[in-house]
Amino acid sequence: MSSNSLILIIVGGALINNVVLNQFLGICSFLGVSKQMKASASLGAAVIFVITIASAVASLLYDYVLAPLGLDFMKTIIFILVIAALVQIVEMFLKKTSPAVYRSLGIYLPLITTNCAVLGVALTNVQNGYNFIECVLSGFGTAVGYTIAIVLLAGIRSRMNEKDIPAPLRGAPIVMISAALMSIAFMGFGGLSF
Amino acid sequence: MNTGYNLSSAPHDRTRLTTSHIMGLVLLSLLPATVVGVIVNGWYALAIILLSVGTAVLSEWVFNLICKKPATIGDGSAALTGLLLALSLSPSVPLYIPVLGAAFAIIVAKCCFGGLGKNFINPALAGRCFLLISFGKAMSTFAVDGVSSATPLAEMAAGRAVNVTSMFLGTSNAVIGSSVLALMVGGLFLWCMDVIHGQICFSVLGGFTVFMALFGGQGLDPKFLLAHLCGGGVVMGAFFMATDYVTSPVSKLGQLVYGLVIGVLGGLFRLKGSTADSFSYSIIVANLLTPFIDTYVVPKPFAYRKTANKQAVPKKSGLIPKPVIALTVITVVAGVALSGVFSMTKETIEQQELEAARASFRVVCPEAETFAESEEANRALEELGGGVYGSIYGRVKINEAYIGKDAAGSTVGYVVSVTSSDGFDGTITLALGLNAEGTVNGISFTELHETAGMGMRANEEGFKGQFRIRDVYPFKLTKAGEADDPDEIDAISGASVTSNAVINAVNAGLDFYQSVMKGGN
Amino acid sequence: MKQCLERLWNGLIKENPVLVLMLGMCPALAVSTQASNGIGMGLSTLAVLVLSNLVISLLRKVIPDQVRLPAYIVIVASLVTVTELLIKAYLPSLYEALGLYIPLIVVNCIILGRAEAYANKHTPLLSVMDGIGMGLGFTVALTIAGALRELLGNGTVFGAQVLPEGVEPMGIFIQPPGAFLVFALIIAVMNAIGIKTRQRELVEGNGCDGNCAVCASACESRPTPAEKLTEAPKTVEAKAAPAAEAETVKGGENR
Repeated sequence: MSSNSLILIIVGGALINNVVLNQFLGICSFLGVSKQMKASASLGAAVIFVITIASAVASLLYDYVLAPLGLDFMKTIIFILVIAALVQIVEMFLKKTSPAVYRSLGIYLPLITTNCAVLGVALTNVQNGYNFIECVLSGFGTAVGYTIAIVLLAGIRSRMNEKDIPAPLRGAPIVMISAALMSIAFMGFGGLSF
Repeated sequence: MNTGYNLSSAPHDRTRLTTSHIMGLVLLSLLPATVVGVIVNGWYALAIILLSVGTAVLSEWVFNLICKKPATIGDGSAALTGLLLALSLSPSVPLYIPVLGAAFAIIVAKCCFGGLGKNFINPALAGRCFLLISFGKAMSTFAVDGVSSATPLAEMAAGRAVNVTSMFLGTSNAVIGSSVLALMVGGLFLWCMDVIHGQICFSVLGGFTVFMALFGGQGLDPKFLLAHLCGGGVVMGAFFMATDYVTSPVSKLGQLVYGLVIGVLGGLFRLKGSTADSFSYSIIVANLLTPFIDTYVVPKPFAYRKTANKQAVPKKSGLIPKPVIALTVITVVAGVALSGVFSMTKETIEQQELEAARASFRVVCPEAETFAESEEANRALEELGGGVYGSIYGRVKINEAYIGKDAAGSTVGYVVSVTSSDGFDGTITLALGLNAEGTVNGISFTELHETAGMGMRANEEGFKGQFRIRDVYPFKLTKAGEADDPDEIDAISGASVTSNAVINAVNAGLDFYQSVMKGGN
Repeated sequence: MKQCLERLWNGLIKENPVLVLMLGMCPALAVSTQASNGIGMGLSTLAVLVLSNLVISLLRKVIPDQVRLPAYIVIVASLVTVTELLIKAYLPSLYEALGLYIPLIVVNCIILGRAEAYANKHTPLLSVMDGIGMGLGFTVALTIAGALRELLGNGTVFGAQVLPEGVEPMGIFIQPPGAFLVFALIIAVMNAIGIKTRQRELVEGNGCDGNCAVCASACESRPTPAEKLTEAPKTVEAKAAPAAEAETVKGGENR
C-alpha cells in the first residue's frame, strides 16, 4: 500500500469521482442546500465526521463480525443502524456544545441518516475490498468531496437572483443546470492519475 | 437608454466606458488573432467563426424574445462569446460543432441565469467543455490537408520536439486562435487600456510557469516552459477568458488568488490529466470558486470589529430505553426473516453462478467436455488465499482455474477465471481460455457493469475478438486504432480505465497459467 | 374508490416523486442512461415501495416515534435484500438486466420519504395505492428521462436506432452533466406548460420556496391557497410549523 495510492484514494473520492457530481449520491440534500455558504460548510463538517467514523466502524464490523460469520446479506441493515446511531450522537453533541450551529443546521442534521452518500460509501468500501485504513480514507475523501460540492453550490446560489431567472426555470431547474455546469467543470479532474 | 434622472449614492464616477464600449474593445483586441487564424487556416476557419458568432447572437436574441425581455445583443457580449469559442476550436471541426457549442454557451450558461452579469461560469468555456465531452473525437481532430495529425501539445506529451516559433506565430497545427503573438498584442492592449486586470492575467501566467518549472521534470529549461506557455490556450485563457468581469473575483487580492489557482490547476491538468484541454477546465473550476473567494478574501471595512457571542448552554439529554427495545425487536425480526430467505435461496443462487461460469468457460474452451481441477492451481490459489495476484496487475484476483479435458480425458485447453476490481464502475470478471499449447483462445465476460456505450463495448467483438487465437504473453494496450504488432490490443476509445482493467486481468490470468499450470498435466 | 384514484393521479403528476418532490434523484440521475434502465429500475422500485408502504402502514401504531426513522430503514433494507435474493434465485435473466439497481433502491429516498409522509398516517389500502401511484410516477419520469438521454447521447431509444446513422450523438447526455440537464429540462417544461403540481400551488400561495428536497415530509401539512381559505385557524399553526420543526429536529411529532 503505497502512500501514492492512499493520496489517490482521498483525491479520487473528493475530486476525480466526486460523490455528488459523478456518483449521484447525496443529491437530495445537495439540491436542497441552503444559500448560505457558512451553513453548508457546517453541514459538510457534520457529514465528514459521520462518514469517516461510519466508514471506520462499518469496516471493522464487516471484517471482524459479518464476513467471518457469513452474514454478508445483513451488511446494509447493520451499516444503516450504525449511521443512525452516529447521527444521533452528533446531534446530542452539537446540542450541548454549540446550540447556534445546531439550530442553523435545523432539519438537515437528522437527514444525514438518509443521505445516500453515507450508506453508499460504506457499501462501496465493501465492494472494493478496502482494508481499514483505505476505508477510513475513502470515507473521508468522499465526505470532503461532498462538502466541496455543497459549499460551491451554496456560493453559486447565493449570487442568484430569482427575478432574473426565466419563470419556468425558477426553483429546481436552475439548481440542476448549475449542478450540470459544476459537473462539467469537475470532469476536468476526470483523467487525473498519479 | 433612459434619459431620466439617475438616483444613486456617492461616490460617483463618471465614465464614458459602457458595456458595449468594453465589449467593442475586447472584440477589437481579438482581431489580430482572428485574422492570423483565418490566413493560416483558410476560408473554412472563417466559416467556423461566422457560424459561432452568428449562432451566439441569434440564440440570445431568440431567448430574449421568448422570455419577453429587452434585447441585449447590442451590448456585443454574445458576439464576443461566439468569437472566443470559435477561436478555441480546431480548424477542421464539422460545422455543427460551433453551432451547438455557441447555442449551449449562450442559452444554458448565460441566458438561463438571467443574461449578462448573472452567469457564474465563463460561457465560451462552458460551451467548449460541453463540446469536448459530447464530441470528443471531433474536437480532437486536427487535420492538415485532410490528414489527421498531432497538435504540438500532443507531440510534447509523446516526448517529441516541437517548433516553438511556429506556435508563437500561429502557424502550427492547433486551434484557430493559437497565434500567441497576435493574442499577446491584443491582450497587452487591453491591459494598457485598463480593461482587464493585470492581477489576473499575470498571476495566471506566473502560477502556471512556476508550477511547470517545479513539477514539469525539466526544471527551468526555457524551451520547455515556452513551449508549454505557447500551447493549449494558456495565453488565450490568461488574457481573455480568466479576465471576464462577471466570473472573476472583485477584490485585487481575490483576483491574485484566482489567477494563481488557474495557473496551478492548469499545470496540474497539463501534467497529470489525460487530455490537452487543461486550461478550459482549470478556468471553469476557478469560476466555481469565485463566490467563495469573494466572500472570504475581502478587505475588512474600516473600523470593523467582531462582537462576542454569548449563548446559554441548555442542559441534559438522555437515552430512552423503550424505543430502543422496539427497534431491536424489529431488527431481530428482520434479521431472522432475511436469514430465512437467504438460506432458502442460497443454493439456487450458487447453482446459477456456477452455471454462468461454466457457460463462459465453454465459450472460451469449446473442445472441452469437462473441466477438471488442477492440483497445482488449487494449491496456488490456496496460498493466495483470495488476495491480490501479482503486483503489476492492479487489483486482480484469480478466482478459479481448470483444465479442459475432452471425452477421452486428454487435455484440450485451460481456463482461468480472473476478477479485476479496477473497472470504471465496479468489478470485471472474465474467463480466459487457452488451448493445449498455451495460445489464447479468447475471453468471455461473466461480470461487466461498465458505462453503456463506453466500457460496455468491451463485450463487443471489436474489442473482445482481438484476444482470439493469439499466442501472446503478455498483451500490450495501445490507443484505439494504433495496434500494429500481434501483442498489441486496441483500447476502447474513451474507456481507458476499462481497457486497462481488462488487459491487466488477461495478463494476470496468463501469468498464472505460465507459472502454475503450464507444463503440469 | 375516489381516494384510491386520487392517490394514483397524485403520484403520477401532482406530487411526482422525482420531478416535484425531488425524492429519489440519486438513482434517477444515475440510472436514466437508457430508457430500458428506467423501466427496470422504476418497476423494481414500485414493487418495493408498495410492499414497504403496506408493512409500515400495518405497523404504524406499533413503531415508537423516537426510533421510527431507523425502524423504517431496517424494514426497507430488509425488503430490498429479500427482493434482491428472490430475483437472483428465481428470475436470473431479470437479475442480469437489473442486478446492480436493486441494492440502489435501499438508498432511494422515495421509499423512506413516503413512509414518513404518508404510510405512517394512513390506512393500508390507501398506502398501497400511494405506493403504486408514486412508483408509477417514478417509472414514468425515469423512462422519459432515460429515453431522452439515450436519444440525444446515443441516437437510440430502447436500443432501436432513431437518429440517422450519419448524425453524431452528443455524448454528454449519457454522462453526469447530461443527467442534470435532462431533468432540468423536463421540470422546466412541466412548469412552462403550466402543469399544476402541488409545489407550484404552494410556491404561489404560501411563500414556500418550492424547494421540496428540504421539507418533502412537511409538504402534506402545508395547506395550499385553496385549502387555506376553508381552514382559517390552521394557518397560524402552519406558519408555526417551520419554526417548531427547527426545535423538534429529532424528527419528533408529525403534523
